[in-house]
Amino acid sequence: MPAYYLEAAVVVLGIVLMLMEAFVDKADKSFVGKVGIVGLGVIFLGLFMVKSPADGDTGAIWSFYAVDATSLFYKGFALITTIIVLVMSLDYRGVIQHYMGADQEKPQAGLGEFLYLPLFTCAGLMWMASAKDIVSIFVSLELVTISFYILVAFLRRNVGSLEAGVKYLILGALSTGFLVYGLTWLFGLSGETGLAEIAAELGNEDSPMNAHPQALLFALALIIVALGFKVAAVPFQIWVPDVYQGAPTPITAFLSVGSKAAGFVVGFRIMEPFIASDAAPQLVTLILAIAGATILLGNLAAVSQSNFKRMLAYSSISHAGFLLLALGCARAAGDDVQVEGVMALYLSGYLAMTLIVFHVMCLVRDQLGGEEISTYNGLSKRSPFLAGILLVAMVSLAGVPFTAGFFGKFYVFLLAIQSRFYVIIAVAVIGVGAGFYYYLKVVKAMYWEEADDDRQVRVPPLAKGALIVLAVIIFVLGVYPSPILEFFS
Amino acid sequence: MVTLNHYLFVSGVLFTLGLTGVMLRRSLIVIFMSLEMMLSAANLALVAFSRFNLVDGLPNYNGQAFVFFIITVAAAEVAVGLAIIVALFRARQTTNVDDITSMKY
Repeated sequence: MPAYYLEAAVVVLGIVLMLMEAFVDKADKSFVGKVGIVGLGVIFLGLFMVKSPADGDTGAIWSFYAVDATSLFYKGFALITTIIVLVMSLDYRGVIQHYMGADQEKPQAGLGEFLYLPLFTCAGLMWMASAKDIVSIFVSLELVTISFYILVAFLRRNVGSLEAGVKYLILGALSTGFLVYGLTWLFGLSGETGLAEIAAELGNEDSPMNAHPQALLFALALIIVALGFKVAAVPFQIWVPDVYQGAPTPITAFLSVGSKAAGFVVGFRIMEPFIASDAAPQLVTLILAIAGATILLGNLAAVSQSNFKRMLAYSSISHAGFLLLALGCARAAGDDVQVEGVMALYLSGYLAMTLIVFHVMCLVRDQLGGEEISTYNGLSKRSPFLAGILLVAMVSLAGVPFTAGFFGKFYVFLLAIQSRFYVIIAVAVIGVGAGFYYYLKVVKAMYWEEADDDRQVRVPPLAKGALIVLAVIIFVLGVYPSPILEFFS
Repeated sequence: MVTLNHYLFVSGVLFTLGLTGVMLRRSLIVIFMSLEMMLSAANLALVAFSRFNLVDGLPNYNGQAFVFFIITVAAAEVAVGLAIIVALFRARQTTNVDDITSMKY
C-alpha cells in the first residue's frame, strides 16, 4: 500500500463524517466523533502496512512526497494527536453547545462540524510530514492553517474565541506571506522546487545560490520568520497567548502539539542542508539567538500568569525554544545522537504531557467552568485520578527525571554541549529553573489549597483510557527513550 | 530593456507596501487586502524568476505552476477570513483592531 493512501483515507473519512452528520437522523451528534476516533485508529494501523516506493519507481508523486522514517513517524504522531483531540472534544461538548446551540430545536447545532473538521487538519499534518517540495509544503501547510482558522474561531457567539480567530487569521496569513516570499527567493536562486535538488545546488559552485549569499540568507530568514510564527518562537510569539486562551480547549491542544510538530518537521527538512553547509554561516547564529530568546521569554513570562491556559501558552513557547536549540545543533551532531531523533523524542514527550494537561482542562472547564489556576484548588479532593495524572504531566513538563520531559531536555542539552554552545546552555538552565516554579504552582494548588465547594469532577471512561495511555507513554519514554532515537538512526 | 532586477524591485516594493499596510492600518479589511498584496509580490517574483531562468531555452514552468497554487490557496484563505471577520462584526459591530482587546497580558 503506498503511503499516500493514508492521507486519502483520512480525507475520505472526513467527507463521509460530514455527510453522516448531515443525513443521519440522530439527535445526539457525538457519534460523529466516535466514528472518527475508530476510523483514525484503523488508519493508524494502516501505517504499519506502508511500503516504500521501489527504486525504479519515478512516478510524478514521488518528487513531491517522501516516504522515510521521519514522514512515517510524524504521520503516526498526527493521527494519535487527532484521536486524542477528538476524545477531548467529546468531553468539551457542553461548552460548545452552550455557545453554539442557541436554537432550542437543535441544541447540538455545530457540534458535528467541530468533530469532523480536525480530520482535515490531520490530513494536512500527515501530508506535511511527507512534503519534500516547496509546492507541496506550501499547500499542506495552508490546508492545516486554514482549517485551524475555522476551528479557532469556532465558538462564534463567544467574543474570546472570535478575537482569537481574527488574531490567528491575520498573523497566520502574514506568516504565509513571508513563507511564500522566502520560498520564491529560494526557487529563484536555485531554479528548483524540490528540497533535495535545492540542497544539491548548494554543492554547485556556479549556482546563483553560492554567488549571492546575502540573497540566500534573505530567503532563509523569511522562511524562519514564517516557521517561527507556526512554532511560536520569539519574536513571532505575540499571537500565542491570546489565541491559546481564546480558542476552544481541544483546539488549543491541537495547535500546541500538531502545529508545532509540523512546523519543526518542515523547518528541519528545509534548513538542515543549509545548516550543515557553509553557504549561510549566519544561519546557525540566527537560529540560536531566536532559541535563547524564546526559552527565556517563554519561561519568565509564564511565571506571573494566573490563567492556566495562558500559562501553558507561554510554556509552549519555551518548549519551542528547546526544539529550536536542537535544530541549531544540526551541524555538530555526532554519530550517537541524531538531531532528528532528539526532536522526535522531545515532541513525543511533549505530545503526551500537553495533551494530558489540556484534556484535564477540558474536563474541569466543562464541569467546574473555569480556566484560572485557582479553579484547580483542591482538585485532589474533587477527583484524585485527575489530580494524579495532572501531577505526572506537570512534573514531566518541568523535566523531573524518570519522565519523558527529562530525557527530551537531557538530549537537547547533550547536543548543545557537543556543539559547544555554552552561552545558550546557561540561558536554557535559567529557563528550566523558572519552569519548575510555575509548573509546580499548579501542583501546589491541586494538593495544598482548599476547594471552594465540594463538587466532584466526573471522568468518562473514554477519557480515562486516553489519559492512562498518555501517562504510560510519559513513564516509558522517561526510562527507555532509545526506541525513538534508534528509529531515526 | 526590462531586466530581472526591475521585476524584483517592483515585487520588493509590493511586499514592503503590503507589510507596512499590515503594520499600520487599523481596519481588518484593509489589513487583509495588504496581506493579499504580499502574496501578489511573491507571484510577480516567481513569474519573473521563471521567465528569466531559462531551462533549455524555455522558461522554468515549475515557478509558474507554483503561482497557480498560491492564487488558489489565497482564494480559500479569503473565503474563510472574510467569514470570520463578518462573524466578528456581528458580535462586536466593529472591524477596527484597536477595539479587539478583551484579552490582556
